[in-house]
Amino acid sequence: MSDNPLQNFTLVITGAPYSSQAPQTALAFARAAISAGHTLDRVFLYGDGVHLASSLSTPPSDETHWPKEWAEFLEQNVIPGAACIASALRRGLVNSEEQKRYQLPANNILAPFIIAGLGEWVEGTMASSRVVYFHAGG
Amino acid sequence: MTSIHTLHILNKAPEHPRTAECMNAIRSGDALLLTENAVLALSILDDQAPMAQVYAIASDAIARGFGQSGTKATLVDYPAMVKLTAQAQHLISW
Amino acid sequence: MSTLIVIDQPPYGTWAGREALDMAFSLAAFDQSVSLLFMGAGVNWLRAAQQTNGIEQKSVEKNLSAAPIFGVEAMYADTLACAQYGLTPEGMVAGVTMSPNSAELMHQHTHTAFAG
Repeated sequence: MSDNPLQNFTLVITGAPYSSQAPQTALAFARAAISAGHTLDRVFLYGDGVHLASSLSTPPSDETHWPKEWAEFLEQNVIPGAACIASALRRGLVNSEEQKRYQLPANNILAPFIIAGLGEWVEGTMASSRVVYFHAGG
Repeated sequence: MTSIHTLHILNKAPEHPRTAECMNAIRSGDALLLTENAVLALSILDDQAPMAQVYAIASDAIARGFGQSGTKATLVDYPAMVKLTAQAQHLISW
Repeated sequence: MSTLIVIDQPPYGTWAGREALDMAFSLAAFDQSVSLLFMGAGVNWLRAAQQTNGIEQKSVEKNLSAAPIFGVEAMYADTLACAQYGLTPEGMVAGVTMSPNSAELMHQHTHTAFAG
């Protein structure tokens, strides 16, 4: 539609799954955006939002597994997903590299999410035509 | 479809301090989209009457018992939310 | 392109303000135009003489004094919120510009963002 040009979105999620609705709202938005022909430049997890990238989340079997839903969506649509390294390390989300660096007993980043600096977010704001933030409600 | 200057996306309950901040920031030509807990504002919207077109995510409203909102808000789905974000020149997520 | 990072939560009790400051510093590090707006309870970031030894957190005053050095263009404080919290220019950290109309300030920037 001429009055609705195609956009390249960066999504920033700052609310954690199971303590906020933010990852759900963001996923519903992301699916609708892709269906309408828009592109997602990247998804950036910041603050409490990094918990979405945990490979250890284990919700009861009758609840939606939001980290898995997100990981599958990113993989199917080849969209980069990054969790802020400073937010992640403070909250106990660690990849194998950081596990070695800090001699930690485990790592728990769910692929295809990666850990990256805030520069990933800055590049997203520069590369995309729209940036949408999904914060915790209240 | 008219263009929107700023789309204000609000997901906080009416008592949250950011709701008042958001309402104060709305100008004519802007639009307000209520998501998540912000749909609770549907019950009090007529009193507040912001100078903007008001939308609310239908699934959030229905989940909270506001399926028949009876207010001047337009209930929308996520494809409509995507359209609103594309039409708006600026976005603020409160 | 210019970005306004908004801090509306008070310091120490939550991390959102610190994470907002990190966002501002990152934009500045990439030579992007960025300013900070303190509004609501967030204006308490700007109170002078914060002594944080007792709560084992770094004083945010030091972070704020680094903002101009890192390239943050301006630090605005919402005038009404300052009045609400009894903050006068003499009782605030240096380098703060009062913002009598924060809605207007938001409309002047390309992006307005909160950290959470």
